[in-house]
Amino acid sequence: MSSTTLSNATASQAPINKTRWERAVPVYGVPVVNRAFIFLLGMTVLAFALTAYRELAGLGPVSGMNDAYGWGIWKTFNVMVLTALGSGAFAVGIAAWVFRRKKLHALMRMALLTSFLAYACGLLLLGIDAGRPWNFYWIVFPWKWNMHSPLAEVAICMSIYAMIPLALENIPPVLERLWYFDSRLRPGVERLERGLHKFFPWIIAAAYLLPGMHQSSLGALMLLAGERVHPLWQTPWLPFLYLGAATFMSFGCVAGTTMLCCTVYRRAMDMEVLDEAARITSWLIFGWLGWRLLDILFRGAFGTAFHLDRFAGVFWLEMSMISIGGWMLRRSLQTHETRSMFLGYVLSSVGGMIYRFSPTTLAFRANPESLYFPSAIEVLVSLGFICMGVAGFLLIVKRFGILPAPLQEWHDMASYFRFRRPYIRWTGYFKYGHFGEDESPDSD
Amino acid sequence: MDITRRELISTIAKTGVPAAVAVSIGAPSLHAETENIPVPSAAVGLLYDASICIGCKACESACAEANDTPPDTRGDALHQAPNDLNDLTRNIIKLYKPEDGSPASFVKRQCMHCLDPACAAGCPFQALHKDPETGIVSWTAEECIGCRYCTITCPYHVPRFQWQGYNPRVTKCELCSTRLEKGLRPGCTNVCPTGAVIFGPRTVLLEEAKQRIKKTPGKYYQERVYGEFDNGGTQSIYLSRVAFGKLGLPELGPESVPAKTLRWQRRLYQYFALPALLYVGLVQVIRKSLKGHEQEAHEREKETGLRAQL
Repeated sequence: MSSTTLSNATASQAPINKTRWERAVPVYGVPVVNRAFIFLLGMTVLAFALTAYRELAGLGPVSGMNDAYGWGIWKTFNVMVLTALGSGAFAVGIAAWVFRRKKLHALMRMALLTSFLAYACGLLLLGIDAGRPWNFYWIVFPWKWNMHSPLAEVAICMSIYAMIPLALENIPPVLERLWYFDSRLRPGVERLERGLHKFFPWIIAAAYLLPGMHQSSLGALMLLAGERVHPLWQTPWLPFLYLGAATFMSFGCVAGTTMLCCTVYRRAMDMEVLDEAARITSWLIFGWLGWRLLDILFRGAFGTAFHLDRFAGVFWLEMSMISIGGWMLRRSLQTHETRSMFLGYVLSSVGGMIYRFSPTTLAFRANPESLYFPSAIEVLVSLGFICMGVAGFLLIVKRFGILPAPLQEWHDMASYFRFRRPYIRWTGYFKYGHFGEDESPDSD
Repeated sequence: MDITRRELISTIAKTGVPAAVAVSIGAPSLHAETENIPVPSAAVGLLYDASICIGCKACESACAEANDTPPDTRGDALHQAPNDLNDLTRNIIKLYKPEDGSPASFVKRQCMHCLDPACAAGCPFQALHKDPETGIVSWTAEECIGCRYCTITCPYHVPRFQWQGYNPRVTKCELCSTRLEKGLRPGCTNVCPTGAVIFGPRTVLLEEAKQRIKKTPGKYYQERVYGEFDNGGTQSIYLSRVAFGKLGLPELGPESVPAKTLRWQRRLYQYFALPALLYVGLVQVIRKSLKGHEQEAHEREKETGLRAQL
């Protein structure tokens, strides 16, 4: 009996929807190591080599940072901006688990993975950006913490979040892979899963509380800079606005990346899930825009938006990108065009990225007046750490069940592997009919 | 099966009500907290009178000597006077000289030793800290992670980071605390030929400054001592003929920068009570969601014959 008929036989038992995302399925049949992957690895290796040089030479020779601009792109882009994009585990998770937008569960594994990679790469670069990283060990001595410092809050909370709740949330795909890998591992894996599920509410709740705290504290960082941040950005609501930007940016990152992967790997798109995500994102965007504009109006800073200077330019750039992005998302809900939905996500996320980037750089009025432009080494290290995250993503998506797909995809994968790797039959990978096959126990 | 209205209300109640309660309890004490920043019992400081400074820069070299600072020969192996505070310069004399011929003035810049220092408020592991007795704000290498947040937060832009080398340090005036222990005065006050900068307990210096204002009415800008109340009060205080703003001393108002900006931050994280309440509320909500989600996943598992993915 051919495998196609087998999977069709199973499929007929369950109500099937050709495009409904039901299952996270690895991207199979695509080589992990290809030209792009080698390029990404090369960039990563280069970044690590430059990092070694940076540790010996100090920050001055490798970066454009100076006394006026103490913070360069490593902190402001790789940490402030990219962890906002990587807040998917927080924003999508809250929508799915706390506000019970159940359709969004299909996106959760993508959200958790992108978040973990963004945070891991960001934290690594935070360690490289620190001038005296060996002193980070104080992080395990709570009496040394300055409880009122936003930066301590960010450093402590971010590392705890990435290392404990976010890492634990990412374990189910790994356990699942082990479960399918060898039938002898199954009892152990199931025991682990039961243990994990027992603590899941506590883990998930921590995974929402901690990013809520540090994503807002990233905004609170610039409160202390006072008037050095231009009034269009400097506001007591900065923590709140930073958190809000992180929510819609991370929705854009998760849904946009999923759409991109679906296009690249020829997967069906579940428009019900994507519409739900786009609807939530558009409301987040309009709420955020409204809040920001009201805040600027009430503080009386709106006049400065009409001065002919770089601040007004950056302000209108980010506001227009975010609002056009939001409008395109709304429109895509009516026209069901994935193209405008994707563009909407890209525009709003890039606008949000500029917003998160501005207070420390573009909207920062340095004293003494001075310029900062990242040096080549700085850019290469920053890119290298992003490339490491992307390479990790490409590897994991192809080896673990992360990307959502219709049920059929799983059956297709089963037939593919039965055909390509017959030996899998006696490793137990397809035992017990968990690919929807009615194998009798003695068939292997 | 989306969230029902009842569930939504209970969700908001479980997470939001503790927040509202804590905030409303905390709010009244906010104002009381910001009004008086305690002055350290033995607060010492500097009084710099810009009107009698002749700009000889003797204090600059005395400062370098007192702090064992090597000459800055990074450009061309020759030492030349720095043009701003930097990782080798804790103290600098600058000149304000307007084009239109209105009064010029020198200004001495060094750490202000704020009563509520923004650098210490932001420092994650208390590498920058204010001595509870003398009120001197100093830096210790053992706790510093080199994040350079102090260079962003200081409203006077005083702490400077060392950009070269694998073991960078943060440089700022520490009021020659090692000399003070030996019973000596800070380097800069030791050599000043006109007495433009003097050292002493903050109360004495304030009294002296007010005496000078009283003796020569109309001489000093706004007849005011910069640092008595500015930025919550500083221990380095200034007298000047020209506007303080022109000398790089921003008008920050009587409230200190940390008190002004981190008020809510401080209140929200007080004793970690609010986050803890929020956490417990979240756990309750998620526990229920998880139960429903697991149930649905297992039902679907039976339908499809494929192992549930949670």
